[in-house]
Amino acid sequence: MAAPVPPGAPRQQPPTGPPPNFQQNPNALADNFQNMNLNRPPSSNTRQPPFGQPPPFSSSAPASQRPGPFPPGAVPRPASGPPTPTLPPNMAPGRPSGAPFGQPPPFGSRPPPPGAFPSSMPPSAGSPPYGAPPPGARPSPVNMMPSGAPSGFISNGPPAPTFQGGQRFAPPGSSQQQAPMGAPPAMGPPGRAPPQAGAMHPFMGSPGAGASQVPPPSGMNQVAPTFGGPPQAMSGSVVSPYAPQMSSQPGVPPMPGSMPPPRMYGMPPPMQNQMTAISPVIGQTGGTQPGASKIDPNQIPRPIPSSSVILHDTRQGNQANPPPPATSDYIVRDTGNCSPRYMRCTINQIPCTADLLTTSGMQLALLVQPLALPHPSEEPIQIVDFGEGGPVRCSRCKGYINPFMKFIDQGRRFICNLCGFTDETPRDYHCNLGPDGRRRDADERPELCRGTVEFVATKEYMVREPMPAVYFFLIDVSMNAIQTGATAAACSSINQVIADLPEGPRTMVGIATFDSTIHFYNLKRVLQQPQMLIVPDVQDVYTPLQTDVIVPVSECRQHLELLLESIPTMFENTRTSESAFGAAIKAAFLAMKSTGGKLMVFQSVLPSIGLGALAAREAEGRSNISAGDKEAHKLLQPADKTLKDMAVEFAEYQVCVDVFITTKTYVDIASISVIPKVTGGQVYYYHPFSVVLDSVKLYNDLRWNVSRPQGFEAVMRVRCSQGIQVQEYHGNFCKRIPTDVDLPGIDCDKAIMVTLKHDDKLQDGAECAFQCALLYTTVYGERRIRVTTLSLPCTSNLSNLFRMADLDTQFVCFLKQAAREIPITPPLHVREQVTNFCINILLSYRKFCATVSSSGQLILPEALKLLPLYTLALIKSAGLRIEGKIDDRSFWINYVSSVSTPSAIPLVYPRMIAVHDLDTQEVNGSIVPAPLPLSSEHVSDEGIYLLENGQDCLIYVGNSVNPDILQQSLGVPSADQGGAEFNLQQYDNPLSKKLNEVINEIRRQRCSFLRLRLCRKGEQSGMAFFSYLIEDKVPTGGLSYVEFLVHIHRQIQMKMSS
Amino acid sequence: MSEMANMDPEGIDGVRMSWNSWPRTKVEASKCVIPLAACISPIRHHPDIQTLPYAPLRCKTCASPLNCFARVDFTAKIWICPFCFQRNHFPPHYGMISETNLPAELYPQFTTVQYTLPNPSINPQMGVDPNASPALSPSPVFVFVLDTCMIEEEFDYVRSAMKRAIGLLPENALVGFVSFGTQAHVHELGFSDMSKVFVFRGTKEVTKDQVMEQLGLTVPGRRGPAASAAYQQKGMMPNGFPSSGVTRFLLPASDCEFTLNSLLDELQTDQWPVQPGTRASRCTGVALSVAAGLLGACLPGTGARIITLVGGPCTEGPGTIISKDLSDPVRSHKDLDKDAAPYFKKAVKFYDGLAKQLVSQGHVLDVFASALDQVGVAEMKVAVERTGGLAVLAESFGHSVFKDSFKRVFEDGEHSLGLCFNGTLEVNCSKDIKIQGIIGPCTSMEKKGPNVADTVIGEGNTSAWKMCGLDKSTCLTVFFDLSSTDRSNTPGTVNPQLYLQFLTSYQTPEGQSLLRVTTVTRQWVDSTVSSEELVQGFDQETAAVVMGRLASLKMEIEEGFDATRWLDRNLIRLCSKFGDYRKDDPSSFTLNPCFSLFPQFMFNLRRSQFVQVFNNSPDETAYFRMLLNKENITNAAVMLQPSLISYSFNTLPQPALLDVASIAADRILLLDSYFSVVIFHGMTIAQWRNMGYQNQTEHQAFAQLLQAPQDDAQMIIRERFPVPRLVVCDQHGSQARFLLAKLNPSATYNNAHEMAAGSDVIFTDDVSLQVFFEHLQRLAVQS
Repeated sequence: MAAPVPPGAPRQQPPTGPPPNFQQNPNALADNFQNMNLNRPPSSNTRQPPFGQPPPFSSSAPASQRPGPFPPGAVPRPASGPPTPTLPPNMAPGRPSGAPFGQPPPFGSRPPPPGAFPSSMPPSAGSPPYGAPPPGARPSPVNMMPSGAPSGFISNGPPAPTFQGGQRFAPPGSSQQQAPMGAPPAMGPPGRAPPQAGAMHPFMGSPGAGASQVPPPSGMNQVAPTFGGPPQAMSGSVVSPYAPQMSSQPGVPPMPGSMPPPRMYGMPPPMQNQMTAISPVIGQTGGTQPGASKIDPNQIPRPIPSSSVILHDTRQGNQANPPPPATSDYIVRDTGNCSPRYMRCTINQIPCTADLLTTSGMQLALLVQPLALPHPSEEPIQIVDFGEGGPVRCSRCKGYINPFMKFIDQGRRFICNLCGFTDETPRDYHCNLGPDGRRRDADERPELCRGTVEFVATKEYMVREPMPAVYFFLIDVSMNAIQTGATAAACSSINQVIADLPEGPRTMVGIATFDSTIHFYNLKRVLQQPQMLIVPDVQDVYTPLQTDVIVPVSECRQHLELLLESIPTMFENTRTSESAFGAAIKAAFLAMKSTGGKLMVFQSVLPSIGLGALAAREAEGRSNISAGDKEAHKLLQPADKTLKDMAVEFAEYQVCVDVFITTKTYVDIASISVIPKVTGGQVYYYHPFSVVLDSVKLYNDLRWNVSRPQGFEAVMRVRCSQGIQVQEYHGNFCKRIPTDVDLPGIDCDKAIMVTLKHDDKLQDGAECAFQCALLYTTVYGERRIRVTTLSLPCTSNLSNLFRMADLDTQFVCFLKQAAREIPITPPLHVREQVTNFCINILLSYRKFCATVSSSGQLILPEALKLLPLYTLALIKSAGLRIEGKIDDRSFWINYVSSVSTPSAIPLVYPRMIAVHDLDTQEVNGSIVPAPLPLSSEHVSDEGIYLLENGQDCLIYVGNSVNPDILQQSLGVPSADQGGAEFNLQQYDNPLSKKLNEVINEIRRQRCSFLRLRLCRKGEQSGMAFFSYLIEDKVPTGGLSYVEFLVHIHRQIQMKMSS
Repeated sequence: MSEMANMDPEGIDGVRMSWNSWPRTKVEASKCVIPLAACISPIRHHPDIQTLPYAPLRCKTCASPLNCFARVDFTAKIWICPFCFQRNHFPPHYGMISETNLPAELYPQFTTVQYTLPNPSINPQMGVDPNASPALSPSPVFVFVLDTCMIEEEFDYVRSAMKRAIGLLPENALVGFVSFGTQAHVHELGFSDMSKVFVFRGTKEVTKDQVMEQLGLTVPGRRGPAASAAYQQKGMMPNGFPSSGVTRFLLPASDCEFTLNSLLDELQTDQWPVQPGTRASRCTGVALSVAAGLLGACLPGTGARIITLVGGPCTEGPGTIISKDLSDPVRSHKDLDKDAAPYFKKAVKFYDGLAKQLVSQGHVLDVFASALDQVGVAEMKVAVERTGGLAVLAESFGHSVFKDSFKRVFEDGEHSLGLCFNGTLEVNCSKDIKIQGIIGPCTSMEKKGPNVADTVIGEGNTSAWKMCGLDKSTCLTVFFDLSSTDRSNTPGTVNPQLYLQFLTSYQTPEGQSLLRVTTVTRQWVDSTVSSEELVQGFDQETAAVVMGRLASLKMEIEEGFDATRWLDRNLIRLCSKFGDYRKDDPSSFTLNPCFSLFPQFMFNLRRSQFVQVFNNSPDETAYFRMLLNKENITNAAVMLQPSLISYSFNTLPQPALLDVASIAADRILLLDSYFSVVIFHGMTIAQWRNMGYQNQTEHQAFAQLLQAPQDDAQMIIRERFPVPRLVVCDQHGSQARFLLAKLNPSATYNNAHEMAAGSDVIFTDDVSLQVFFEHLQRLAVQS
C-alpha cells in the first residue's frame, strides 16, 4: 500500500525523457502565453514586454522606432486596398532588381509609415488610379479597378498585394499614370485577345504552340523588358497564363523605375530574391512541359508573409479601417471597432442588398473569436463595472452600449445602432454632448470608445453562483494504453500540469481511469491514500460518490501526485483490452454534473464496450472505398446518436470535454469528436502515438489547454444592425435556442463562424454594426460579459466588395463549410463545390468589374488573388484526400470546425522553410526565414526543409545533404540514419541553435507544440512530406497550381460565354 | 418446564414428538387435534453419540442406512431394512459381524450415530457444478456486509464490533467485505496498491451474472480471456480455488486483518447527502445481491456466511421497504393487514429470490439489525430462515444484545454456536406415514417420493431439505400425516412399531463432512380401542410449541387467519376429546395430568407476542417467530410461557406462579421470557437497596439476595443466542412493564380491592387464567 515513490522524492519531469532541446525550456511556449492570460486577476495583469517585439502603439512613429522592421511588405498589406501608387511592383520591382526591396533606402524614403498606412488610401491618392478614379467611371476607386484584379494576378509574383492591383487596374484611360505604363497595352491585349485565347488552350492541356506566343500581350511584353534581362524567363512564363490579363491592363506595365516612391511601399518582400533566383530553374522545367511553359510558376500569386509587425488602428477618421491579414503579425489599437482578432468580417464593407451579395458570389459572414489571444503589446481589454444596474442596454434588442450608439437630445436619449430604437439614457449615465455630437465623457468611458470591453455581470446574468474551475481527468488504462506508454505519458503530463491550474480554493480536480470498467478515486484528504472506486456497470453508469471525487486542488495535491505516479504501475499487468469510453465520460459527467467544468479524456483505443461503444467500421469502410462505394464518406459521420445525445446533456450542465487521442489504431474520431464539438471542447490527436515523440507535446498541449485564457458556462449571441441578421452559427458549441450558442467552455483558440443574411436593404453610406456578446465565467469565478462591436460601412458598389474582401476570412468560411460538407457529400462533389465557389467569385469579378479585359485573361481581384491557390490547397487538404485515413480526415474536419482564421490558413497552406542554410540566410527582422512555395521544385536534394501547418512539423532531409550540416543541425550522421523516432536537440553550433530558435518561434506563433517528424525521400515519411506540396501535380489526379489556374480560367470563360 | 429441568427429554436423538404413540389411521389422527409432529435438533451435541470413521451401509432399495432397528441375520450376513423390509447382504468388510461383534450403528443404545464422509459435495441435486465445487475447502467464509448509513456513534460501535470479530476469526477463514449506503461497495481486499472498491448502484437490481461480469469474475474461456487473466492464474495455482475472486475479494483472515482494520478505520459513513426530512438512502437489497453474487462466483457450494449489519430500513432499489420521506412511517401490522404497505410484497419477493440463489449456492444470510425503527427484518425473514441464518435484532450497535451476540458468533470453545454449513436433512419413514413439511430454518429440496404428503405445512413437497447454515441449537419441526388408505388398518398384519429416520449431513466449521443418522421408533396404537396409550404418549410442551409454530405460520400465510379463535377451538376440541366430564357440567371437568399444563400453555400463547402481534412491529414479530421456529422445545416453551423464579429471605429460589400475585414487596423476581430477562425488585427490596444496606457487612444476606438473581440471569444469558435483553427494574418503575406484561392478570383494577398489600395490579382488560379456564370448561363439556 505504501506509495511507490517516497513523498519527498524528486519528481521526474516528463517520464520519457523529452528531447533535450525541449527540456531546456519546456514551458517556453506556455510561459509566454501566461503573461497574456486574460483571466488572471488584474493585479497579475502586468503585461510583460512582448517577446522582444516593438513597443506598443504608444510610440507614435513606428517607423522611427523600428529601424528595419517595417518591411515594406508588411505595410503594404494593411494599406491593402488603396495605395494605388504602388506599381505593379509585385513583379516588376522585385524581379528585375533584387535591390529594391531589399534596400533600405526606399523605406527610409517612404512617406511616413504611421500616418501613411492608416490613410494609405488618401495619400496614395497621388496615384491617379486611386483617388482619381471617377466614381462614375469605375465603381470603386482603386480597387474597383478591375485592373486591381489583374494586378493581383500579376502581383502574385512576389510583391505586395494590393497596390499593384490599383495600379494595374488603372484603367488605361483613367489615369495618366497608367498611361505610361501601358495605356496602350491595355488596348493591346484586347487586340491580342484572339491569340491569347490560343494561348490559353495550352493551359487547358493542349500545349498549343501558340501558347508561348500568347503570353506576350503587349503589356506584358513591355513589362518584361522593363524588368530587364532576367525577366525573360519570368515574363515569358508569367505572361502566358496571366499574361493576357496583365498585358491587358495598362497598369501592369508600370516599370519599377517609373514607380514613385510610394510604390516602394508595396514592394515585394524578400521573396523576390528567392523568386528571382529560382526562376531560371523553373524556366527550365517549364520548358520541358510544353503546356506550362508559358507560365512562370514563380510569377503566379503566392502569399507574401510580412516579417514585420503591422500597427493597426481599427478606425481612422471615423471610418472602419480594413484589418491586416489574419496571418500577419500586427498590433491593434482599438479606436472604436473591435480588434480583428476578436471579430472579422468576410467583407469589410457590407453589401446593401442581398442581390448584390449574391452577385458577388462571396460569403457574408463573421469569424468571431471572442477570447482571442491579444498581442502582448496591445492595450488590455478594459473592464467596466456598472454596479448593480448592470451594463446599459437597448431596451428593445438588448444590445449593449457601444461607441456607435448615438446620443441625442443633450444626451438624454440614445439611438441603438443595432435596432434603431430610441431609449432613455439612464439617469446616472447621463452626460451632455459636446459640440461634435459625442458625449463629453466618451473618451473616458471604454464602452463608448472601444470596440471591445468587458462588463462585470450582475446577478441578473447568473442562474447560479459562478461555477468553480473544475478539471476532471479521465485516463484510458486499457492494455493498449498501458503498453504504448500513453497512460504513463498522460499521468506524467497531468502531474506536471497541476501546478499550472488556476490557483485558489475554487479550483477543483478529479481523476478517473477506465478500461472495461471505470475507476474513480476518492481524493479526500482524511484518507491516508486515495481510494479507488470502481463503477463496473458500463451499460448504465453512475457516479460512485457525490463528493470527494472532485476536490479542491489545494486539498489533494499530495494524493494526486501519489496517484498519478502509481497509476501506470498499478495497471502494469492489466490484460483488459476493452475500453468503455462512452460510459467513462458519462460517469465522469455525472460526477461533475453539479458544477460543470472541463473534462479531459485520454483515450487510446476504439471504445469497445458499454454505453456508446463503437464498431471498428474502418475496415468495412476501406473495402467499401475500394469497391467504389459512394457512401464511403459516411464513415466520417458519427456512428450513432448516443454520443451526440450525451454531449447535449453534458453541454446543458456546462461540462466541456477535450479528448486527447493517443493511439496507433483507428478509434473512430468521427464519432468521438461529436462530444468535444458539442461541448465547446477540442480533439487532440497523436497518431501514431509514440512515447518518445509525443509525450512532450502531450504535456505542452495539456498545459496550454489549462493555462490559456478561457471561460466557462458561456453564452454567446451576435446581434446585427437592422437589415442583416444572423443566419447560422458554426463551431464547437451546443445550440438550444436559435439566437444563442451555449459554450460550456470557450478559449482563446476557438473561433465561431457566424453566417449572415439580409432581411432588408441597407442604406448606402450608412454603417452596419455587429455586436458579439459573450457571457462567461472566468477561471477565477467572475462572471463577465465581453462585448465586441464592429461597425462597417455599407456599399452598393460591387467592386467595393471585391476591393474590401478579406481573403483569409473569406477562405476560412469556405473551409469551414467544406468541412461540414465532407461527411455528408461525396468528396468529388465537395471539391467541385469548393472550386465553384472560387470560380463564381472570379467570374463575378470578371463579369462586372473587369469587363474591359479580354476573355483570354484570367483576372483576379487583388484582394482575393490567392483564392485559387488556397482553393487548390483545400482540395488537396487532408480532409478531402480520399485515400487518407478515416481518422485523419475526421480529425481534420473536427479541427476545422473551431479553428481560428490565423490557424486555418497554415493548416491548408503550410509553411515550408529551408533550414540547412539557416545560419547563412539573410535575416530580415523575423526569426523564421521566408517561406518557400509549396512546390517540389523548391526542394532540393541537398537541403533540409521544415514544413509546418500548426499541428505537425515535418523535417525533410534530402538525399545528398552535406553530412556536416546534417550532423550539426539534427545530430544525425547521414540521411538514412536515425530512427523514425527522432528528437530534436540543441547542439553547440550556430546552425543548431538557429534551428531550435526557429522551431520555438514557430511554436510560439502557432500556440502549438508541433509534432516533429523526420522525413526522408523514398520512405513513407517522405511521401507524407510531399503530399503537403500542394502546388505539385499529384499523380492520382490532383492538378498542379498552374494547371488549376488554367482550369479555373477555362471554367470562367465557359461561363462567360454561356 | 421446571420439572423437566434436570431431565434430558430429547436424549441422544434430539427428537421430541407431540405424540409418542401414534394413532393408526388418518381419521383417528385428526381426532387427536394436535398434529403428529417431531421436533428434531439435527446436530445437537450429545456426549454419547459415536462418530464412525466409515460410510454408512445403505439399504439398496430405500437407501436408508443400517441402524439398530434392522433385523440382522448373522449367519446369512443379511439385514432387513425396517423401512422397506428389503433384505440386504452385508458387504465384505462387514464380514466379521456377529452377535458379539457388532458395528456401533447396531448397538441398541446408539439410535443416533454419526459417520464421517470423505467428500462434502454430496448434493448433486443442488445444481452446483460438480467441477466447480471445491474438493477441499477447509476454511469457513465470511462476507461482511456493513451498512454505512448511520450516525457516527453507532458507526463507531459497529466498526469496533467488526474489528473484534475479525480478530476472533480463525486464521484460515476467508473474509470478504461489502459496505453499502446509497451504493454498494465491494472491497477488493487483495489489491495492495490502494484501497479498491467496486461500486454498484443502489437503485438497480443486479443479477448474479451481472455481478460476476462486473467484478471481472467471469470464468475464463466462457466469456473471453480478457478479464484479469493474471489474477486468475495467481488465484488458481496455490489454492486450487475455482475462481480468481478468491484471491481478489476473499482473503484469509490472517492476510487481510491489517487491511481490513485500516479500511475500517478509514471507512466513512455514507457520503451521499441526505435531505432534511428524508431517510438516508440505503440499498440493503443490492448489497446483499452483490455479496451473494460474489460468493456465488467465487465459492459456490462452499459453506459461507453473509453477515449483514444493518442500521436502518432499505430505501433504495430492490428490497426497499419504505420511501425516503420521513413523514411516511414504516409499515405496521395494521398496514400489512390492510394491504397498505406498498413495498412489502415486492421486497419479500426480492428476498425470496435471493433466498433461492443463496440456497442453490449453499450460503447463509445472517442479519444483525440495530436500529430504533424497523429495518425490514420482516421482509428479509424469508432469506434468513431459508438459509438457516442467524438474526439478531437490537436497538443499537452499542447495546449488549448486539455486541455480545455478535461476539458469540465468532467465539470458539464451549460457548461457540457450533455453526455448521451445507446441511441437508432427509427423512425416511415407515410406510403409511406421509411427510407434510417442516417449520424451521431450512428449504425444501423438492425431493418427491411416496412418503410426501399432498397437504403441505411449511417447507414441504419433499423428503429432503437444505440447511445452508445450522448450529447446535437448530431445531426443525417435521409434520406428519398418515396415509388415508385403509390397508394398514387391518389388525395384526402390520408391524406394531413405526420407524422414522433422520439423516443429517453437514459440514463442520473445520471442514469435516459428517452424516448423522437418527433412527427412532414409536408405537402404533389403535385409539379406537383405547386412548390410554395415546394419552400417555402426549408431550404437552412439544405440543404447545408445535401449536405455537403452526399458529404463527398460519398467521403469516393465511389471510384473515384468526389465531386466537383457532387456538381456542383446538383447545376446546382437545379438552372435549381427552377430558373427563359429564356432558354439560363444567364443574365435572377434569383433565388427565398428561394434558394438565396444556391449557395454560395455550393461555399464554394466546397472550404472547406470537399471537398478539399488534403490540410489536412486523420486524419484531418476524424476529420472534424465526427464533420460535428455530429453537429447541425447551427454549421455545419459555418463549410461549416465561418462567418466573422468586427470591426471598429464608427460602431458596423457587419457581413462582406466572401471576401478578407473585409480586411481593420483599421479593425479587427473575422472569425469563427468552428474549428478555427481567430482574424485578419488590418495593421494599428496592428501598433497602437504594439505602445501600447491601454494602453493610451486617446485611450480607441482603447483598447475597440481591446478587443471586443477577447470577442466575447471567447464567441464562450466557447460554443463549441471541443474547437476551437484561432488564433490571423495581416495582412501580417504568421498566416493570417487561414483567407485568407477561403475568397472568389475576389482579386488575377491576378487582384491586381484593388484593393484599404489597402486591400489584395490572391495568388490563385481558381475561385472567381463571376466567379462561372457566370458559374452557364450559365449552369443553358442551355437547
